[in-house]
Amino acid sequence: MRASILRSPSPLPGFGLSFGIMMAILSIVVLLPIGALLGRGLMIGPGDLWDMVNSRRIWSALSLSFRAALIASLFNLVFGIVLAWVLVRYRFWGRKLVDAAVDLPFALPTAVAGIALTALYAPNGVFGQALAPLGIKVAYTELGIWMALIFIGLPFVVRTVQPVIEELDREVEEVSATLGARRAYTLRRVVLPTLAPAALTGFALALARSVGEYGSVIFIAGNIPNLTEIAPLLIVIRLEEYNYDAAAAIGIAMLLISFAMLLAINLIQIWSRRRIGLV
Amino acid sequence: MHIEIEELAKEFGTERALHPVSLSIPSGALIALLGPSGSGKTTLLRILGGLEFPTSGRVLFDGSDATGLTVQERRAGFVFQHYALFKHMTVFENIAYGLRARKRRERPTEAEIGRRVNRLLDLIQLPDIGPRYPTQLSGGQRQRVALARALAIEPRMLLLDEPFGALDAKVRKELRGGLRDIHDTTGLTTIFVTHDQEEAMELADLVVVMSMGRIEQVGKPGDIRARPANDFVRAFTAA
Amino acid sequence: MSDITFIRAESVTTEPRLVRGAVIGTVLVLIAILLFAPLIAVFAEALSRGWAAAVASLGAPDARSAIRLTMIVAAIAVPLNAVFGIAAAWAITKFDFRGKAFLITLIDLPFSVSPVVAGLALVLLFGANSSLGAWFIAHDVRIVFAFPGIVLATMFVTFPFVARELIPVMIEQGRAEEEAALTLGASGWRAFLTVTLPNIRWALLYGVLLCNARAMGEFGAVAVISGKIRGETTTMPIMIEMLYNEYLSVAAFSLAAVLALLALVTLTLKSLLEWRHADVLAATRRH
Repeated sequence: MRASILRSPSPLPGFGLSFGIMMAILSIVVLLPIGALLGRGLMIGPGDLWDMVNSRRIWSALSLSFRAALIASLFNLVFGIVLAWVLVRYRFWGRKLVDAAVDLPFALPTAVAGIALTALYAPNGVFGQALAPLGIKVAYTELGIWMALIFIGLPFVVRTVQPVIEELDREVEEVSATLGARRAYTLRRVVLPTLAPAALTGFALALARSVGEYGSVIFIAGNIPNLTEIAPLLIVIRLEEYNYDAAAAIGIAMLLISFAMLLAINLIQIWSRRRIGLV
Repeated sequence: MHIEIEELAKEFGTERALHPVSLSIPSGALIALLGPSGSGKTTLLRILGGLEFPTSGRVLFDGSDATGLTVQERRAGFVFQHYALFKHMTVFENIAYGLRARKRRERPTEAEIGRRVNRLLDLIQLPDIGPRYPTQLSGGQRQRVALARALAIEPRMLLLDEPFGALDAKVRKELRGGLRDIHDTTGLTTIFVTHDQEEAMELADLVVVMSMGRIEQVGKPGDIRARPANDFVRAFTAA
Repeated sequence: MSDITFIRAESVTTEPRLVRGAVIGTVLVLIAILLFAPLIAVFAEALSRGWAAAVASLGAPDARSAIRLTMIVAAIAVPLNAVFGIAAAWAITKFDFRGKAFLITLIDLPFSVSPVVAGLALVLLFGANSSLGAWFIAHDVRIVFAFPGIVLATMFVTFPFVARELIPVMIEQGRAEEEAALTLGASGWRAFLTVTLPNIRWALLYGVLLCNARAMGEFGAVAVISGKIRGETTTMPIMIEMLYNEYLSVAAFSLAAVLALLALVTLTLKSLLEWRHADVLAATRRH
């Protein structure tokens, strides 16, 4: 086996085979389709692309998708850190069950979550009836979209932060106490900064997932144009009208948001590795 | 087996792990490659075992070019720094691995494999540990199992990467004698890598002192102590 | 003068008992509302007209063909992704080459792409008005609005699961055991089968488990590419949507309950794996 420019030689065989299988499947399943989408955008041209995206209905849909994802992910950021802390540091009855249940949104199909949440929050549902006297409507409003996105984004922050808490050096907290810091101060100034990179990574993952979420949202959203119509739904509508160019235009806008978030996740990880050598 | 190293060099990207080095190792010798970390001693050992490929230079085994031989063809008994025992196999299965991996024509019968493994277990003086798993062994026992596993393939030479590095001081001293005995019984050309000058001096017939990818001095332990070739060797071998 | 000595029984690295109780209580209530309530709702709605109605709805031809299709799709997509995951992990962890970090980012890409965008991208690549799609149709191979498209869409959304689980595990295990096998005369293939595979088997199972759960439940990407042809390209989640939109609540929730049961089985097996084999899984350290 001789050295090549791209690869250091190794006595282990199978590089060609494994690399070939990897690239073949990666290309057919991911790279070529994404390339086809971007290629379609190039064929349409940036000017026309912009004209197609630049309508009130699409802007409302894109901003709704992003806004609702942001709100839900912020909730999950705070709740996720607290939940991870509780699961690692506190002992209580049912802890193991809660720990296992955190992954439910990963395992439960989105369509199932969607109809279940709708059943709960619809005006005749258990929660819907309870909230009606308070004048709160969840189903078929933006609030419903938040609930769906909170559900599907819940595990991300918990699962990124949990291992970091497990490996926290308790001595650091003890030092803080011996230096006279009260517990709240220790948590705010010593513990929280250590968790920040992992929490931000989880937040970004949840955000990326929520912006593109479709299955759990469309049942509860009501899908009223300009009000509760999310961007992925608009793509589906355009496709059903066989308007591929318009669908591609919205798809590219969403893909760019995905790329931006992927970049953000990578930057957070580089930053945290440099700062504290974590993740 | 007589090993001849001719102008062997190794680069990792732009980094030179090994400047062209040459060395002649007489058949049946017990050699120590001694040096601090980053001196290129492990790289040299891995090239001999077929685990790294030199950028330039040649290796001769008994006078014939072995540079292009694959790791399997070399039949070098290699003992890894942390032993690399197969965790999911028993000690018996670990030692039998190389025999069972042979082509059907050359593979001994299961009964013969059993006899050979037991003989090796006797040789390392751990006759009863065949059914155990590596995680149930002490560090010293693991090292001896790794040695037995390497010997099972009837190797042409024995290559050991920091064989005592992961052990505590007391066990280390005990096992030094064990390696010497095995070398004397088998008569195999044996090369071991170490950063411990006392270990090298006490155990080896010939010590190769290395630093920054170069060979600084080759000699008998007494000669190196008495006449260090330069300041580095003097400082490094000062007890 | 007070002679009461206040003994602080608790460790300095925890919060006061009252705070702890309040936090645990809040967390439990929120978990009950956010996670357990929807799960219970699925089963309650499915059984709202009794067991008989629920079971009968699962026997309907549409439901049965949806269950069959979902299982066949998973049976193809999941093994293919497992092969991909093993190949990718082997290439990435056992060899040094340029562009590795970028490659890992590409493998992770499907996690941040909307399933609907994934479906759209596949439609644009293989649809009738692309040159590739036209070529396939000329050769009588239908991909969009047909079975192969559903498999491709499912593979897209579940793409990183196995590779992401294997890569960190194989990085941690290093290359020494495989190298040892080679020095003992084993061929590369033998080293892979007898050394690598046993070392990664639990991590592989874990990745396959998550991949399978997601594959059987995928909705957005399949909704776009399947064309929703009743009895032909309707997987279980698509069928659930159709039944729900037709106000066939019991039928929709019964099918949903089957998927929810699958999710519960997945979670149980996953917890079991984490509990028994935490040392050889990546997920218990990193997600």
